Amino acid sequence: MSKSVRIGFVLFAVALLVSGAWIGLAWAPPDREMGHVQRIMYMHVPAAWMALLAATLNFGTCVSYLWKASWKKDAFAEATAEVGLCFGTIAILLGAIWGRPTWGVYWAWDPRLTTMAILLVAYAGYLALRRFVDDPDRRAVWSAVVGIIVAVDVPVVYFSVKWWKSLHQVQSTPKTVDPQMVIALRWNAFAFLAVLIVFLVARYRIALAARMRETTVPDASPGAREVVAS
Amino acid sequence: MNTLSLVLAAVGEGRIRGGWEYVWTAYGIAWTGIALYALSLWVRWPREERK
Repeated sequence: MSKSVRIGFVLFAVALLVSGAWIGLAWAPPDREMGHVQRIMYMHVPAAWMALLAATLNFGTCVSYLWKASWKKDAFAEATAEVGLCFGTIAILLGAIWGRPTWGVYWAWDPRLTTMAILLVAYAGYLALRRFVDDPDRRAVWSAVVGIIVAVDVPVVYFSVKWWKSLHQVQSTPKTVDPQMVIALRWNAFAFLAVLIVFLVARYRIALAARMRETTVPDASPGAREVVAS
Repeated sequence: MNTLSLVLAAVGEGRIRGGWEYVWTAYGIAWTGIALYALSLWVRWPREERK
């Protein structure tokens, strides 16, 4: 990918994000019950979607790594975990701010909030594991196993509002909300998706460059160093 | 009837009044978080690829 294409896509993502903020803050109507506070949803929901998407990509990459190992897959798994943690943290902070005027509290031990918090702590642990293990081969295998275990929480987060009908509302559908609200949410979802792609590509290249630096044979696949050494 | 019109008026304008301070705080956190993470990626970007 050429530098001009990369810069062009970054500018496209920024333009989507800025226009999405204007749509969410000024163009979309206030909610009948929540008033203007509902505008937080145009940032909170896309951030949560991107966190779950990144976690799903992490799971797929970890499974793929254990199936057929490569440094590229290991680098991409690292990227998805860190970027997912970034979006998940934004989602949970914005949810807390929204909760204060609507629920009366910043935090409640609601199943959705609790399972999401567990997911974020688990990905923080995943990234800590990657820092503590020096050997790239062991790090890649262990983190792939941990990534698969952590991903068990992803469907639990999504279905928690259906399984335990509690404080957090269930997913709404376009049929139940104003069409302008649907456009605002979808626009911001695409804006966050563009930002997610930019972050994933950048973080992947950083991780891959680090992997290449720490392996003795630049093009070696995991496990090849032992073969070269023996 | 008077009570009903009061309820309908409240529903029409939104039961939570104001709340812009929460909205600005939330959008500020989202933009700051995205900007700081983008900055961290730029700082960590491999030197050989900057050329």
